Amino acid sequence: MKLLRCPVNGARPVSEFVYGGEVREMPGDACTDAEWADYVFNRSGIPGVKIEWWYHVASGTWFLAKRDVAADHVLQTWLPGEEVPE
Amino acid sequence: MAYQLLRFALASRHPETRMFRTPDRLGETYDVVVIGAGGHGLAAAYYLARDHGVRKVAVLDRGYIGGGNTGRNTTIIRSNYLTPEGVAFYDQSVSLWQDLAQDFDLNLFYSTRGHYTLAHTDSAVRTMRWRAEVNKHLGVRSELVGPEEVKRACPRIDLDCGGHAPILGALFHAPGAIARHDAVAWGYGRGASQRGVEIHQQTEVTGIDVEAGRVKGVHTTRGYVSTRKVLCAVAGFTPRVTHMVGIRTPIYVHPLQAMVSEPMKPWLDPILVSGSLHVYVSQSARGELVMGASLDPYEVQSTRSTLDFTEGLAAHMLDMFPFLSHVRVNRQWAGMADMTPDFAPVMGKTPVEGFYLDAGWGTWGFKATPVCGKTMSYTVATDRTHELIRAFSLSRFERYELTGEKGAASVGH
Amino acid sequence: MTARLPVVEGEWIDRSRGVPFTFDGQRFEGYAGDVPASALWAAGVRVLGRSFKYHRPRGVLSFANHDVNTLMQAGARLNFRADVEGLEPGMALTAVNTAGTAARDGLRILDRLSAFLPVGFYYKAFHRPKGLAPFWENVFRRVTGLGRVDFSTPRLATPKRYDFADVLVVGAGPSGLRAALRAGQAGARVVLVDENARIGGSLGYQRGGERRSRDTLVELEAAIAALPNVSVRPGTLAAGWYADHWVPLVDASRMTKLRAKAVVVAQGVFEQPAVFRNNDIPGVMLASAAQRLMYRYAVKPMHVALVLTANAEGYRAALDLLANGVEVAAVVDLRQRADDEAAEAAVIARGVRVLHGHCVFEAEARADRLVAARVCPLDDSGEPRTSHAIHVACDGILMSVGWAPAAALLYQSGCVMRYDTAVEQFVPAKLAPGVFAAGRVNGVHDLEARLLDGERAGAEAAAWAGFHTDPVPAVPGLTSTPSHPWPIVGHPGGKNFVDFDEDLQVRDFLDAAQEGFDNIELLKRFTTVGMGPSQGKHSNMNAIRILARIRGQSPGEVGTTTARPFFHPVPLSHLAGRGFTARRETPVHERHERLGAAWMQAGIWLRPEYYREADRPKAECVRAEIRAVRSGVGLIDVGTLGKMELHGPDAAAFLERLYTGRFAGLKVGMSRYGLMTDETGVVIDDGVIARLADEHFYFTTTTTGAAAVYCEAQRWNAIWKLRVGLVNVTGAFAAVNLAGPRSRTVLARLGTQDLSRDAFPYLGVRETEVGGIPARVMRVGFVGELGYEIHVPAQYGACLWDRLMEAGREFDIRPFGVEAQRALRLEKGHVIIGQDTDGLTTADEAGLGWAVRMEKPFFVGKRSLEIIRKRGARQTLVGFELDPGSSAVPLECHLVIRDGEIAGRVTSVLESETLGRTVGLVFVRPELAKEGTRLEIRVDGGAIVAATVVRTPFYDPDGARQEPEHE
Repeated sequence: MKLLRCPVNGARPVSEFVYGGEVREMPGDACTDAEWADYVFNRSGIPGVKIEWWYHVASGTWFLAKRDVAADHVLQTWLPGEEVPE
Repeated sequence: MAYQLLRFALASRHPETRMFRTPDRLGETYDVVVIGAGGHGLAAAYYLARDHGVRKVAVLDRGYIGGGNTGRNTTIIRSNYLTPEGVAFYDQSVSLWQDLAQDFDLNLFYSTRGHYTLAHTDSAVRTMRWRAEVNKHLGVRSELVGPEEVKRACPRIDLDCGGHAPILGALFHAPGAIARHDAVAWGYGRGASQRGVEIHQQTEVTGIDVEAGRVKGVHTTRGYVSTRKVLCAVAGFTPRVTHMVGIRTPIYVHPLQAMVSEPMKPWLDPILVSGSLHVYVSQSARGELVMGASLDPYEVQSTRSTLDFTEGLAAHMLDMFPFLSHVRVNRQWAGMADMTPDFAPVMGKTPVEGFYLDAGWGTWGFKATPVCGKTMSYTVATDRTHELIRAFSLSRFERYELTGEKGAASVGH
Repeated sequence: MTARLPVVEGEWIDRSRGVPFTFDGQRFEGYAGDVPASALWAAGVRVLGRSFKYHRPRGVLSFANHDVNTLMQAGARLNFRADVEGLEPGMALTAVNTAGTAARDGLRILDRLSAFLPVGFYYKAFHRPKGLAPFWENVFRRVTGLGRVDFSTPRLATPKRYDFADVLVVGAGPSGLRAALRAGQAGARVVLVDENARIGGSLGYQRGGERRSRDTLVELEAAIAALPNVSVRPGTLAAGWYADHWVPLVDASRMTKLRAKAVVVAQGVFEQPAVFRNNDIPGVMLASAAQRLMYRYAVKPMHVALVLTANAEGYRAALDLLANGVEVAAVVDLRQRADDEAAEAAVIARGVRVLHGHCVFEAEARADRLVAARVCPLDDSGEPRTSHAIHVACDGILMSVGWAPAAALLYQSGCVMRYDTAVEQFVPAKLAPGVFAAGRVNGVHDLEARLLDGERAGAEAAAWAGFHTDPVPAVPGLTSTPSHPWPIVGHPGGKNFVDFDEDLQVRDFLDAAQEGFDNIELLKRFTTVGMGPSQGKHSNMNAIRILARIRGQSPGEVGTTTARPFFHPVPLSHLAGRGFTARRETPVHERHERLGAAWMQAGIWLRPEYYREADRPKAECVRAEIRAVRSGVGLIDVGTLGKMELHGPDAAAFLERLYTGRFAGLKVGMSRYGLMTDETGVVIDDGVIARLADEHFYFTTTTTGAAAVYCEAQRWNAIWKLRVGLVNVTGAFAAVNLAGPRSRTVLARLGTQDLSRDAFPYLGVRETEVGGIPARVMRVGFVGELGYEIHVPAQYGACLWDRLMEAGREFDIRPFGVEAQRALRLEKGHVIIGQDTDGLTTADEAGLGWAVRMEKPFFVGKRSLEIIRKRGARQTLVGFELDPGSSAVPLECHLVIRDGEIAGRVTSVLESETLGRTVGLVFVRPELAKEGTRLEIRVDGGAIVAATVVRTPFYDPDGARQEPEHE
């Protein structure tokens, strides 16, 4: 991946972006300590298509990207709260 | 070059025997299955057979011996860590390294060159002093030195680094060394093979049977084997294997890239690392500059190369050594680093009985090869966690007892 | 003595411009357009270099940028590639890797060492006995390596360029030219690159003694020149393929990073050497090397040639030799029968002896020169029948036995290759999207077919890039097999080289495989085949053939190794470019410069560490600055602090989640300390949070944390979706801290704000004017004195500084730097995040538990802190006081030792003039944190000094000095 499509600014060099990690669901208040620690530390390290946070530094835009982390190929990008584009 | 000569010597003195046997087919059952025929897996198999008398061992690899991170790293060996548990562990490794060539009767081109971690900021100086003090306390030869000492060891360096990042001092680590990485895997492989261990290359593990919380057997592309003990030593492939047994870990995979120059007459004696400039460099026995930088900034589960990496590393190399302008870069490559949140490995027993992990080696696994073999073979053979690896257990994260290596998180691991 | 031919049509040299140069101290003259190797060959020099390992004499092999044997030292340029890099006037060239000259190399390492050590023992002695290993290592480090670095070389700031193309065509041979032409005609913006000094590829030199290919080249050149949308760039290397068709184009002066929509790889093939004994003797060369010598440089490669072949190109090469006056003693064909009868007939018609089913068994040399070849018939199993050897006198052997695709870029793009037995070559099986292959790299060898294949690839690439073109008909099938599956002849004496870089012989491969290194990756690593400067371009294919035969497999089953960048080596200067290092300066920077600031780096910022005074050491300057703040007034630039502006109805709620403290109840016009933890509960940043209005906050972060805090805060709100707007105004505001008992008096002179205790209390915030400049003024206490942090729009920063300095003159106002500030805050017991905390420190451990409000429903890190609190702290940050009269003062990161164990670590320390004692902060085990506990600290040199745990602040514990009454 050399180019990444920011939903606001279009395709930009990947050097303008910061990786924010895989999107993870924060457990609710009732979670156990172990569930919380799992949320904080553990990751899905296996290859596959993942939904990730990406940040366009120049414009301060956080967005979501669906990316195949083995092929390093982005399938879609969208803004948080927007519907996932087809 | 030197390795090549060595091979001639072996050939002329012995009838040419295979270094490792290639078994025709997979057996039905093994006492231990080691996944991963890299340095770590083979070392564990070697010590299992040699020290613990466990000889019905199969080492499986989807590729070939030493083809993963063992053959992709920049071969730096050191023990100048920050935490007592880290220092003790790596120091044990460094001392094991000393006798390895004799054990194997194989030249590993282990070369003690001295290792300088350069500090360009006052906070880096503080961290270097911290490491030096902990190291000295544990009897490891490390010392905070000034820029003049860096200049003495490497007279050609630009102490100003092009004016961007003047060198304020360095952590000097006398035992810092390099070695021929492939030969380490071959040495362990040969030793293990001679003791009855079976090495099965091109044998990919596709599943692991777990019943009632304990390991039963392993599915591979070449058939099923039953076993009660599995050691996973697969570096960047760790999450794929832990996924098979349903264990979640904090391990994430980022590429680590490196590059090598054309050979030139030796001029760089020590190993140099700069955290601020994201450079580590040494000159190999072939005269090549072996160069690395920091981890790639995002997850990629392949070994693709980027141009950005070479551009950044080249610029920083020239900051330190402007006279290398005409030197050409021959080749770049990448490995998949299995990173952990606290820059320390994940070793030992797991919630699945009979499933042992030697993982989380990120960018610092090569140097630990011998001690990992020692401690993991002990742990697998006795089902008791070896003392040296207690701090590295998988459960430390749940307990919020991360190792202190995170304390001074920086590159240069 | 010169071997220059009469003028050859299309030659690259300019005979009107002589180029004098020296090689190994001898003077020569070539022509402009020559490369050193061609000029030397023309002058009759045959030994151009020495081999890497055995220091064998070597001449030219390829003229295609993989002649490691002609690497030379050209002044400061090391490993100069004399087979392809241009000759320059006055060059002083020397052979690399020799002691003495190429012709007389004193460094015959094996001979030398074997004189006092039997060969076998010597290798074993490398590692055994152990004590000798370093000795051998040093011996090796003396003889290893190739060229020599010239340490006077300056850093070359080679600028880079960026470029774009619809279609990038790599390789300007027949197929590449036609591809570029076709894509260009379709309207695409085309960039056509070729690593050679001129375009044309094999059209220029594989002529078969005819005009046809040369005429084709002239036509294509003219057609392309007529297209303004096709940019032709000879002398330009496509060094690698990276994701999204990002291709670095490297020429002599720079690297151009080009992004293409589609890439056509038409890089052709590398001719492969035949493997027989002494195939490395000067005079033995690839057929294409001889053709390049003749048609590019007009150099007669030899007088009497033997052509060893296994394909039609060999016969065509023989015709080229004949056309240029070289006598051809014989054509030796490995095959029992040639499949291109026309070429063979033409050769025979010229009276040349053709031997089918024969091989060259060995080459014979005298005085480092080829004098003859021993030619043997091959038996039915393909083995040489040495009893029937023929002796053929010759001073040159051309090897034309096959080709390997120049497919590095294809591999890098993810192309899957397969071995095609019809061509006995690896060919693309599945190309990556947007990447196209054409010509010989695609397994298409006949000239007409290559042109057509280029046409097809050009059309497909243009279509991929969005330009309509008509489809191109399929390429006709092969008429002959261009590569021999086994161009390798065994010899009991060895010296039949497979890899000329690494001096690898056939036997090495057999031995390696026998030892268990019998898959291609292990074989490569064990033998180092393909790991030298030419990266396997002439060696990998034969290595694969050998391994395939050993394993009884096809080359396709053996597979290839990964071709990583770079295609040819690229200089560090080109990769580095000019180099950019980000650096930030505050709006007051120039004032500091004038005041004699000693600079230090704080992240990417430059900050004054202290202000120099003539003849005064640093420590004294810093003490003077501290004194000024404690007794009068001082001024520090704090413009590097991160500054954030937060608006919106949920602003307070946002801060409550982001920071550990409470902000909902913070009164307008007041500020509060803010501490930030990450999700694991570790302290990551702190700052001051000021409420300017109900829905408007202004807050600061640490200097180095600003970007990360801003980024993280934005991400959280992308999740929380609170109604706030957050702006990073770090660069938009200048900020200074005016501190000291006189600060109020100074400030009063510049403004209308009532500065009385009641009107402007400690931690108050006021939007007012200072010296006529709109300002936000906060009463802060970081350094432990009455103080005002004044933030103004960046453009007024210098002006504000001047006015404050002016107003403070009569009170001897003094600028102070980071060093003094650190001392001042330490006296006050304030923690610096990052110095007094590390990557695992929790708020409790840092003594900042008071800033954490666990009763809040949520803040980032809260849940983890709950868990950690159950576990208990592992260490505690406390103040210490060094025993008076101690022999030494500890430094930051010296260790606390108790019962021989590490029990803590000093994080900050100061010999305080203010306090008259040495104090600091130290992490200790919780049981040692009690006031009055005695600590032993180990200092440099191993001595132990004693200290006592004391309570902080050390200075003004009641905070009385922060009030204006102390003026």
